[in-house]
Amino acid sequence: MEIERRGQWLRGVLDLCVLGLLRGRESYGYELAQSLDAAGIGPIQGGTLYPVLLRLQRAGLITAQWREGTGGPARKYYRITDRGRTALSRGGQDWMTFVAPVTAIVTGGVDG
Amino acid sequence: MNADQWLHAFAAELHRRRVATDDVRHVVAEAATHLRDGGGDPWVVFGAPDRYAAVIADSVGTRPAPRPGPVRLHAEGITKRYGRRTVLRDAGLTVRAGQIAAVVGANGCGKSTFLRVCAGLESPDGGQVTVAGRLGYCPQQGGTVDFLLPDEHFVLVGAGRGLARATARRAGRAAARQLGWEPDEPVPARRLSGGTRQKLNLTLSTLSEPDVLLLDEPYQGFDRGTYVNFWDQLLRLRDEGRAIVVVTHLLNQLDRVDLVLDLTPAVPGGRP
Repeated sequence: MEIERRGQWLRGVLDLCVLGLLRGRESYGYELAQSLDAAGIGPIQGGTLYPVLLRLQRAGLITAQWREGTGGPARKYYRITDRGRTALSRGGQDWMTFVAPVTAIVTGGVDG
Repeated sequence: MNADQWLHAFAAELHRRRVATDDVRHVVAEAATHLRDGGGDPWVVFGAPDRYAAVIADSVGTRPAPRPGPVRLHAEGITKRYGRRTVLRDAGLTVRAGQIAAVVGANGCGKSTFLRVCAGLESPDGGQVTVAGRLGYCPQQGGTVDFLLPDEHFVLVGAGRGLARATARRAGRAAARQLGWEPDEPVPARRLSGGTRQKLNLTLSTLSEPDVLLLDEPYQGFDRGTYVNFWDQLLRLRDEGRAIVVVTHLLNQLDRVDLVLDLTPAVPGGRP
């Protein structure tokens, strides 16, 4: 995949992906990057991820707290807020509404 | 540039962009944790320190540009001679509330003398100093009493401001913690290490909540972490509206101050 195009798509949906991962449980930056990679999105560098986390925090969609992990060093754990769940639900809906026709339009070209 | 150096440069850039002190601490600590977990090269993981700092400043926002308040310290035409040697010639400095001024210059160019004149501990041969408000002064050494415990220092200085003993103790311990020091142990000042005694010294000079704070290289013997806390605290005090004058020979901090007074004589040797 073109790196530039992937970067553009990511810019549009990385915040939703982070909210989606935090929906189930709280997590910290490095773990989120690993989860995104494991989900197939590919490697996300810290320089891309942390500004998104800060913006989500500033918007009140997630909260953060420094805590010692189990036997590990102190880490900044992020947790989704009620407003974050609402934003995820709406944004997720918008994404699917957007991506469905895009998929329908380009599918022929892929198959052909 | 290793990871520590990268983090240091990153923190300096964040400060320079006036990101709030607490935000800087959190963002830098988080980046350090990430690098420790992932072990990557910070230049690949985060990019160049200045560019990443710009992105972060954009994401968390910055403090409003400082609006310096009224003039708190005005020194003008300060001249000081010791015998036939002129130590200061026509030195001047004006510091407003919410500003940090650095006094720099080669060894022996009169930095400490200038500060002592500002503090009213020495009278100049020419010129005058006007101070508006309460004055705090932290000398390079001394300023503590050998046989008193840290808590007793807090009570003594607090009493000068009319603070009750318990209140003074609480305020002193809180100010000490800002420097990463827990002064709970009842150890007399003479048994404290040089660095810790300087922390006590510095704590005392801020305890009276001065409007003008004069600091004469108060960080001798500080380890690196304490030194970072020290500058964090200076920036916090500045943002609270204090006027701060700090003597320093460390030029790498000058991008964080508002004013610089260089006392290096124009003519090498500075003969009278």
